[in-house]
Amino acid sequence: MAAADVAYAPPMKSGKMGFEGTQEVQHRIRITLSSKSVKNLEKVCGDLVKGAKEKKLRVKGPVRIPTKVLHITTRKSPCGEGTNTWDRFEMRVHKRVIDLVSSADVVKQITSITIEPGVEVEVTISDQ
Amino acid sequence: MGGGARKSRKFATFRLFPRAGAADPNDRVFVRVDNNDYTVPGFGDDDAAFDPSLSSTDDAADHFSSGPLPDHLRREILELGLPDDGYNYLHHLRELRPSAASFVPNQDAPPLPLDVKAYDASKVRIASGKVEDELDEGRTMCKVAAKTAPLSRIERAVDPDIARLLDESDASHGGGSEDEGLEEDFVIMANRTEGEEEEDDEEEEVVDDVFLSDVEEEEELEDDEGEPKPRVRRLLDEQFDLLALEEYGDTDDDDDRGVRDGECELPTEVIDELKLFHSQNVSVTEEYRTPADFVHGKLDSSTTEDVDESANVLKKCAEYAEKYLNETAEEEEVVLVSESSDESEMWDCETIVSTYSNLDNHPGKIQTPGNHKKRLPKVFPGETATTKDIIKLQGKEKLPVEYLPQRKRNGVKEKKTKPTEAPTDENFNKGAQKETKEEKKARKAAVKEEKREARKTKKELKGLYKFETQKAQKVAAVTGPASIRLM
Repeated sequence: MAAADVAYAPPMKSGKMGFEGTQEVQHRIRITLSSKSVKNLEKVCGDLVKGAKEKKLRVKGPVRIPTKVLHITTRKSPCGEGTNTWDRFEMRVHKRVIDLVSSADVVKQITSITIEPGVEVEVTISDQ
Repeated sequence: MGGGARKSRKFATFRLFPRAGAADPNDRVFVRVDNNDYTVPGFGDDDAAFDPSLSSTDDAADHFSSGPLPDHLRREILELGLPDDGYNYLHHLRELRPSAASFVPNQDAPPLPLDVKAYDASKVRIASGKVEDELDEGRTMCKVAAKTAPLSRIERAVDPDIARLLDESDASHGGGSEDEGLEEDFVIMANRTEGEEEEDDEEEEVVDDVFLSDVEEEEELEDDEGEPKPRVRRLLDEQFDLLALEEYGDTDDDDDRGVRDGECELPTEVIDELKLFHSQNVSVTEEYRTPADFVHGKLDSSTTEDVDESANVLKKCAEYAEKYLNETAEEEEVVLVSESSDESEMWDCETIVSTYSNLDNHPGKIQTPGNHKKRLPKVFPGETATTKDIIKLQGKEKLPVEYLPQRKRNGVKEKKTKPTEAPTDENFNKGAQKETKEEKKARKAAVKEEKREARKTKKELKGLYKFETQKAQKVAAVTGPASIRLM
């Protein structure tokens, strides 16, 4: 067969050799997730880390920042009369930080996955 | 920090916000949050969020912070119903996207009586009655009907999917064949026309394309027929084919050749078996005969020999059992079952440290408050149990007396012990003799002093108690139940 004469060439690598990583510039990306509910937050965290690992990125796993607990202690009574009963209200804010090294587009893709309501996502991109 | 200048902040921070005016909460946009100069090309401002129609006014005006807005802007703002307070609310307007809900005036059809239902028959084709192959796309209901009414949201008479399927089936059978079902001897036909099959298919596909291209305009079809259009062959494709041939060509050559020829020749053993079956002459018209009958060569059914047969059954069973036993003894297969190992997760050291959730992990331990000013010795001589860890609550206010700050008590008490001892000795010595005036004075003064001190300590303690209860109340407000009353 004539086709057998053609030498088998290895598949060519796209992009210039020696350029940063693959074609796109890599950035250091920090994703900060904060929320009032731990369950949603942990789920989103897990999804992000899983998504990043699937894309074979360098991930620094979810670092858990200590929870901030905001207290409000007030008298239950609207007037001063009666037993001195107090209401204690608290709001817990949980925060997680994920570090990645990738290009901006990939991060956009990863974060476009459904995010639970109530989870705030902040992405900080900086040069490597 | 040192005296050096602040490092240039080469980062950009974005926050995910739900898109303004979007119904779907998953529709989110990255909004820049910081004010650095650093730009990231991938996270550039989204075009949709930026209103191009207003950009011209913005460029010209360049953020009016002082001075009134130009009149045309003010008029527009007022028209929208927004207040005229010098702020350019048009900044926040956005064009309607096609996906967003568009407001179409509601045209309700005249209300029908309850027993009448209206359908949209605009797409229904009227049969011409002439040659079946001719396509009468022009004769839709609209053109034929004597009277048509404007429609909105009326159900279609013909489901588009069903219509499409019907059209396709029509085309493949050469357009309107009367027997829509299969021919009776379709198997034979299929076997006969194996060689001619490929040609037929091509013809039919061409017909399909021509036929469907018209239909596709009206009904939004997925382009299934036209999909496998050969795209431009790249160098890579040829290389891949070569590679595939090299790696897999040798093993599959024989099979492929057979398939490619189109004559699926069964291996000879199978054909022989089939012939055997054929020779058994299983005919339907004659009376029923089981295969066992054929084996024993019986032509008509007779039950005379059945009784003898049953006698042999036991013998036969024993034979089979022995055979089976021998077989299993010889063939003992060793089956290897490989357990799938759990995939080992790769953790880096930072991840390991942080796998504990704050729900369970509380690094700080709560301990009993230590008191370096405790008066009582830790272990009394003779005491068996050490009650060091128990905080005792004493008094009406239930305070941990041992842990309260005690000021001057030691000093005061020490001073007291000395003067009290001295006068007692003197009294004993001088009990009989009369006391001199000074001694009486001294004694009375001492008593006065004692009382004064006692009063003072009492007042102090009382104040301390009240202070402590207030503090305890504050703490109890957060931690303790409301039923315990402290003050």
